[in-house]
Amino acid sequence: MHNNITTILKAIADPTRREIFHALVISATALPITQISDQFEISRQGITKHLKTLENAGLIRINTNGRERYCYADTHPLKEVNQWLKTYEEFWDDTLDNLNTYLDKS
Amino acid sequence: MKDLITKERIFNHPIEKVWNAITNATEISTWFLQADFKAEKGYQYTFISTKKECSPIEGEVKKADPYTLVYSWIVKEAPVETTVKWILEEIEGGTKLYLEHSGISNYKGETAIEMFSSFTNGWDHCISGLFDYLKQTIHAQ
Repeated sequence: MHNNITTILKAIADPTRREIFHALVISATALPITQISDQFEISRQGITKHLKTLENAGLIRINTNGRERYCYADTHPLKEVNQWLKTYEEFWDDTLDNLNTYLDKS
Repeated sequence: MKDLITKERIFNHPIEKVWNAITNATEISTWFLQADFKAEKGYQYTFISTKKECSPIEGEVKKADPYTLVYSWIVKEAPVETTVKWILEEIEGGTKLYLEHSGISNYKGETAIEMFSSFTNGWDHCISGLFDYLKQTIHAQ
């Protein structure tokens, strides 16, 4: 994965993109772009632009099958970001526990 | 999802004591990591784990005025600059600590994974070394 975490965070910061991503996650299957754009009240071009941003962040994959293009969600980048942040959270919790213990005994 | 880790803690100790614990090299080396550190703006500090396989942390002290301490935080194996900020506030019966670690999104995804594995394989026990130390000290008392 070569995506900057910023790219991922920016991609999901937009409410419309988050909704599109969410729709793809819960469908648990590849959806044709026409079906996705039917669900949102924005232009086909607008949808395509949002999908491109999500694709660049590694959050969705787009496959062409005949004349239709299919999208499906990939949640791995989010899990990685989340897991990593969680690890650092735990690191600081442990560190502050240590500091507390140190202060108590010194 | 946010690009910032913040922690708040209350310590039942005077502010000066907490400030010394986070700024004095000898004290940092006792409860945190082996430190070459001076609470002076511009000082290039190093935190080293006593275990060889743990990557050192390096950075520069950006601010060290009682009771605010700011330094850049760069894990040598994954050289991306993040920032750690400690702010102490005197409260009744003790000290409130506010800790902020920012700039985490500067890491590239693949770096994040490396960092993650370096933490799970290395950092847990880099830190648990301190627990051993503290246990020994407590038993010795």
